[in-house]
Amino acid sequence: MKPARSITPWLFLAPALVMFGYAVLLPMVLTVGYSFTEWNGFGPMTFVGLDNYLTAATDPIFRGSFVHVCLYIAATLVLEVLVGLALAGIVSAATGRLWFRVAIFTPVMLPMVVVAVLWAFVYNPDFGLVNATFGAVGLEQLQRVWLGDPATALAAVSVVSGWVYAGFYMMIFYAAFRQIPHEILEAGRLDGAGEWALFRRVKVPMIRSVLWVGVLLCVTGGFQGFDLFFVLTNGGPYGSTEIPTTYLVKTVFRNGEVGYGSAMAVVLTVIVLGVGLAYSRIARRRQRPSAETGEAPGADARLAAPAILRPDDAGELAG
Amino acid sequence: MSATRRLPRFLVSMALLLVALTFFFPMIWMVMSSFKTNADIFSAPFSPPESIDFGRWVEAWEVGNLGQYAINSAIVTIVSVTLILLFGAGAAFALSRYRFSGRGLVLSLFALGLILPLQSYFIAQSSMFTLMGITDTRLALILPYAAMGLSLAVYLLKVYLDALPEELFEAARIDGASDRQLFSSLAFPLLRPGLATVAIFSALAAWNEFLLALLYIQDDTLKTIPTGLLAFSTRYVTDYSLLFSALSIVTIPMIVIFFVFNRQIVEGITAGSVK
Repeated sequence: MKPARSITPWLFLAPALVMFGYAVLLPMVLTVGYSFTEWNGFGPMTFVGLDNYLTAATDPIFRGSFVHVCLYIAATLVLEVLVGLALAGIVSAATGRLWFRVAIFTPVMLPMVVVAVLWAFVYNPDFGLVNATFGAVGLEQLQRVWLGDPATALAAVSVVSGWVYAGFYMMIFYAAFRQIPHEILEAGRLDGAGEWALFRRVKVPMIRSVLWVGVLLCVTGGFQGFDLFFVLTNGGPYGSTEIPTTYLVKTVFRNGEVGYGSAMAVVLTVIVLGVGLAYSRIARRRQRPSAETGEAPGADARLAAPAILRPDDAGELAG
Repeated sequence: MSATRRLPRFLVSMALLLVALTFFFPMIWMVMSSFKTNADIFSAPFSPPESIDFGRWVEAWEVGNLGQYAINSAIVTIVSVTLILLFGAGAAFALSRYRFSGRGLVLSLFALGLILPLQSYFIAQSSMFTLMGITDTRLALILPYAAMGLSLAVYLLKVYLDALPEELFEAARIDGASDRQLFSSLAFPLLRPGLATVAIFSALAAWNEFLLALLYIQDDTLKTIPTGLLAFSTRYVTDYSLLFSALSIVTIPMIVIFFVFNRQIVEGITAGSVK
């Protein structure tokens, strides 16, 4: 449609653009600018070129924070995505069970801080649920100071993340499973396939694209993790759970090294955007051969443009 | 659908119930502990409380400022969501219905906003807000929450608008509707399901947001639930039953809301979180 006057579309766009530009785009550009300076937030600002990036490249804490966050992502891929897939498989094989899905999804609703404070109690060495459970079944030797021991802290945080998000991935995958046409599953059953074979050979391959979206969400979300880590360990014990965001918050807001913190923020941003872009390229390439084999076209491309993963949409790719 | 191929329903139900109970147990334990004394929490973690006494809940509500935190969260959430819906719908309308130069650029800016992590801008945002005296006001949360929610709103609402037939708008145009009327009397009402999804997602995001709330709000009377609860938990570090009471007060209403509106909420969250 042609606007009545050429300014009309811009009048509709103006409030959103001004707000987005002011609160997101401008500070993003400024953050990149800060990353080339040495600045404590209020005094004079000195241009230092790439120094901050060179420092970051050799900073053992910053490098360690990426090791930790990668371990955390690997753990959550299992505890969130894989467990979510398994749960979705079980509920979709057993039809109905709304109460189950609702129960498992509940933690997603809660503020992460509330979850974290609760789980700090669950891990409490003196009266927490975990140690109490081991005590009750006579496995006292397994009791630990879960969050205070560098050997277990990162795993303990990952478990909480799994507890929250397994239900989220279950819902996404379950919605996709439900879009698989009934005839296909019936044909499989007539051929003598059991539920497990149907799950592995039919259902999972048919929701492949949604699975990849799940993996993407888990990886990019993992790099941005903060709330759980901040409340449960804030990087400790002995830096064993330091992740990029806890470290850069300390760098900027405790040590006042705005320039250095900005450089780390830029590195993190580039990684997250890089993963996102790499994903959408792969999704687009996979899209072409799948169109030839007669699968529903468009689904991958639509998912690559974010925001389109509505539960009832997501399954269309099963076409 | 032969019954023999199906897993025995009863066994599956029992197994699922067990899984759900294990999953839910931390929350059940939280509520049970809120009715116990510190001594009982230590000595008998699994046993139910001797009596259900809401005295500690009342105490937590009063000494913990929980009401104030809830009001703050509500104000910040309602204002942010309103801005997101109005501004997002306007932008989506322009991008969906009009062809004009610069459209592609605007679309890709909002697409960028979809995948941009908070970390890419919050450092400079914080210094901007300090400079302009916005920190420690509700605006310091409303502005970023609304801005962050816009990208998703624009994209999601644009999908809804794109699905509306062009003839609808042409006909209204011929009947003499102005551009403003096309938006407010035609597009906006038709967008209602999309607006609901966006509202649910943005409301939960604003209600639960932590990092910015932690950095921008030091004044205790302006804190939202996440930062307020954290402040509370560091103040009463060893008064466990009081803390469990506060956690229960914050958690239970959300669980109730979720059980009532689970369909809409699940759809809202899963639609939104592709960001």
